[in-house]
Amino acid sequence: MTAMTTRARLQAATATARRRQVGDPPRRRRTGDLPVAMAFLLPAAVGFAVFYLWPTLRTIYLSFTDYSLLTPPEWVGVENYRRVLHDELFWNALTVTVEYVVVNIAVQTVVALGMAVLMHRLTRSTMIRGILLLPYLVANVVVALIWYTMLDAQLGIVNQALTWVGVDPVAFFGETATATPTIALVNVWRHMGYTALLIFAGLQAIPASVYEAAATDGASEFTMFRKITLPLLRPALALVLVLTIIGSFQIFDAVAVTTKGGPINSTRVIYYYIYEQAFQRFNFGYAAAICVALFAILASLALMQLKLLRAGDSDLD
Amino acid sequence: MSQALSGRAAGTRSRRRRLSWQRMAAWAILVTLILITLLPFYWMLRISLSSNRNLSAHAGSLVPPEFTLGAFRRVLGIATLEEATAEGGSGAQINFWRYLVNSVLTSTVITVCQVFFSAMAAYAFARLRWPGREKVFFVFLTALMVPPIFTALPNFVTVKQLGLLNTYAGIVLPYLFMTPFAVFFLRQFFLNISREVEEAAIMDGAGHARRFFRVIVPMSSAPIATISLLVYIGAWNEYFWPLLVGQEDSVRVLTVALGIFRSQTPQAGPDWAGLMAATLLAALPVIALFTIFGRWIVNSIQFSGIK
Amino acid sequence: MRRFRRLAAIAAMLPLALAGCGGGAAENTEGTEVTYWLWDSNQLPAYQACADAFHAANPTITVKISQFGWADYWTSLTTNMVSGTAPDVFTNHLNYYPEFAGKNQILPLDDLVSTDGVKTDAYAPGLADLWVSAEGKRYGLPKDFDTVGIFYNKKMLADAGISEDEMKSLSWNPTDGGSYEKVIARLTVDKSGKRGDEAGFDKSNVKVYGLGLDENNGAGVGQQMWSMYALSTGWEYTDKNPWGTRFQYDDQRFQQMVGWFRGLIDKGYMPSLAISRSGTSVNDAFGAGRYALSTNGSWMINTYYGYQGVEVGTAPTPIGPSGKRATIYNGLADSIYAGTKHKDQAWQWVRYLASADCQKAVGEKAVVFPAIPEALTIAEQKFAAKGVDISAFTVQIHENTTSLYPITDHASDISAIMSPAMDAVLSFKADPSSLSKANDEVNALFR
Repeated sequence: MTAMTTRARLQAATATARRRQVGDPPRRRRTGDLPVAMAFLLPAAVGFAVFYLWPTLRTIYLSFTDYSLLTPPEWVGVENYRRVLHDELFWNALTVTVEYVVVNIAVQTVVALGMAVLMHRLTRSTMIRGILLLPYLVANVVVALIWYTMLDAQLGIVNQALTWVGVDPVAFFGETATATPTIALVNVWRHMGYTALLIFAGLQAIPASVYEAAATDGASEFTMFRKITLPLLRPALALVLVLTIIGSFQIFDAVAVTTKGGPINSTRVIYYYIYEQAFQRFNFGYAAAICVALFAILASLALMQLKLLRAGDSDLD
Repeated sequence: MSQALSGRAAGTRSRRRRLSWQRMAAWAILVTLILITLLPFYWMLRISLSSNRNLSAHAGSLVPPEFTLGAFRRVLGIATLEEATAEGGSGAQINFWRYLVNSVLTSTVITVCQVFFSAMAAYAFARLRWPGREKVFFVFLTALMVPPIFTALPNFVTVKQLGLLNTYAGIVLPYLFMTPFAVFFLRQFFLNISREVEEAAIMDGAGHARRFFRVIVPMSSAPIATISLLVYIGAWNEYFWPLLVGQEDSVRVLTVALGIFRSQTPQAGPDWAGLMAATLLAALPVIALFTIFGRWIVNSIQFSGIK
Repeated sequence: MRRFRRLAAIAAMLPLALAGCGGGAAENTEGTEVTYWLWDSNQLPAYQACADAFHAANPTITVKISQFGWADYWTSLTTNMVSGTAPDVFTNHLNYYPEFAGKNQILPLDDLVSTDGVKTDAYAPGLADLWVSAEGKRYGLPKDFDTVGIFYNKKMLADAGISEDEMKSLSWNPTDGGSYEKVIARLTVDKSGKRGDEAGFDKSNVKVYGLGLDENNGAGVGQQMWSMYALSTGWEYTDKNPWGTRFQYDDQRFQQMVGWFRGLIDKGYMPSLAISRSGTSVNDAFGAGRYALSTNGSWMINTYYGYQGVEVGTAPTPIGPSGKRATIYNGLADSIYAGTKHKDQAWQWVRYLASADCQKAVGEKAVVFPAIPEALTIAEQKFAAKGVDISAFTVQIHENTTSLYPITDHASDISAIMSPAMDAVLSFKADPSSLSKANDEVNALFR
């Protein structure tokens, strides 16, 4: 036993782990467990059909109409989609949103992963987990508002603190260049503990024996992170990435209560633009078309991610 | 199973002994993250204990410029109108305890039903074999991408036609059966459960319901506790839907009622102290709930499974 | 399996049980309940008093008031209109009512007004005209009004050696800003204590700005930001008001004014757009002593006078090149939802809201200016009792220098075009002449 190299032990241990994690039952008849599956799916399917599928189909229908909300929709064919393609503000909104998502997801994933691994390797304290989850308990509107006041160029405490250490105040929310990254980072603050918790749940699924084997052979924490944690965490990470990226695209509240799309169009993210079109300008049909376009983009993105990350299984090779 | 548990415990102990500079650095990072998490909460507390009237003049003061519990009194609905306006609050009436009960009730029902039904669906997607499984799952998943502002309107009409406006049922209904998030989350963990354990149950002649309740659910106690927590917080913070559906005082939930502190008037800005007091108070029940029940949830599911 | 069935049964029954217990909301068996929405929580007590008095006079009608924050108000109202569950009566705004009227969501009141002989000239002059559509139909009876004035920090004024009387006779022009700009410059102080009109003033290190910049995007109206300057040049928003169809943002007078206005930022007398939008409202920054002057609407009086440690005074807006002052004159009214099931009762409530009785009750609370002159007198006294002189806001009504809020169709589309356009100019990313292009886009809406 002692003669085994670290590498060999690692491989043996993780291979066991991998075998344990493959969950597919053996093949059966063509229909398989269909009747049972339908029974298990029934409640969820009802909810899905009534509260997701129906509104979606309705939105798709409305995207082909001229609909002001307050008067009956009129069929206009693909006119709305033609307009979307030539709408500079739509493309601007898409660019701004992508900028937001990139900053938000990159920072958030790195911080949350670090947080989860630190929690996992350092402490089992539920208290610390609870503390890190606290920001998520605060509604996103309030999170945005509290940071908005804290970051104000003249009265915000953050800028006061900057002045104390000799740095000139920064109008974080007010400058076109910094507004979007600022909103992205504020949302990182709210979601980092939450994302860490999701990743943490994945970490708990990794058998402790794998780490023990590595530790006995004197593998450093960093080696363990690279050789064990990351590969075995891949399914959980894939899940978290799909969920957070889709969630990140839906950024709306923070913009609505702080910059309202400005200055100029620098924070007019896609959902805010859709909201303006639908409920402020009463171009509901057009807003529906943007929605469907966005829906298509997100769905293909999710499909790609799932494929790329092969979320269904984990590996270690 | 019990072996794995004890093994994990032993591992924790052996790791804890090694205190290297690496671990010190790691602790330093964790403590920094905790500080970044907590500082804004201090600021909220500091604002909530101030009067709106002197917040601006003492913007840089690290402690409340003039300590007052007025904001908390406004939130709890025990401040008089004169008292409220004197500190820059509004004349709205707040029936705090009633809204608290409504929030607890709706959030609990949503969490229990949604996690249960989503777990059933996740079982079908993860542990059962049937044609079209992946395709149906992807369709479920796409529901994540439908923006809430577009589901709100048709769902409002649906709930109205069911005659459920201003009822608890109307408030919880759209969240009751599933969310793509919960289904996706649980499926991912159900996939990871070893087939061997389930096979033992099959040997004993257990049907799908028994396997679901006695094997899969207990073995996924940690993810189920996690998703329950997240669903509960989500339900607790839900704002726009209950605003539309639950306007009556009898069913109004806390977030909607406390929304008053956010925008009193179009231009005059929020009642800052009231808003922060409301936020802190509204978070307390959730914190308390999970301090009390958090461990219990995990433990109960684990034990019922091992037997 | 047994446990599963039991759970499933419980789960299935839950919604039904919940429906049962939620449905117990009081159903009024006697008389009618009229639902009424408003957004201003500060006015809620006043209107609740009105509702109680109304119920006492009409025991068969109960008014149920709901209040929503401004942002939620319109989304919620629209959703309820779509599903036919909107409130019987609601507070309406000039930006929204043309849309609602055009889509037949609110009732024309003409028949009711003439049948009951309600006098529409009972209100402060011009207010009632705001609520008549392009087709000549009336959609609301005025309840209150607002104008714009200057709030100043008395101590800063004294420190700069400017008298309060001086503030009442300021004049302005787009070339050198007149005595108005001189005052603003004098009130601006940099970190080393140098004033804006002194040599060696450091415009990049300003401690107190002479004039505050509003955090709200003024879009194409600029009600409390720049409308009083633009209108005092003789310029008007549209070819005619109400119901103009051609906007005039391409007018030289307008673009010149914008050039002067943003010049204040360049000179360091007014904060940059970025600073003003970075997190604090113009009034809070005023309350914190960062601004010496701040132009704002009469609806903000209580907020400005509420700051501890700041002594506040008010002055009317400056006299412009036309030789007159100017301010936007705006007001709210109550409208009846077209889908109401209690049209008669709703009308009685609207009539009561617009009556002297109710408006006097509102005036008592000294929050807004009631539309009926005798109620305004009461408000004036109540404000005075609080140490607030509102004459800076009412003087322009007596001098007849007010201009009606620009009422047109497509209000929100116009705002969507003008907001980014004005932002770009005020942040020096585009020249004032770029507003001509925005003007073309706006006017294209009316074709």
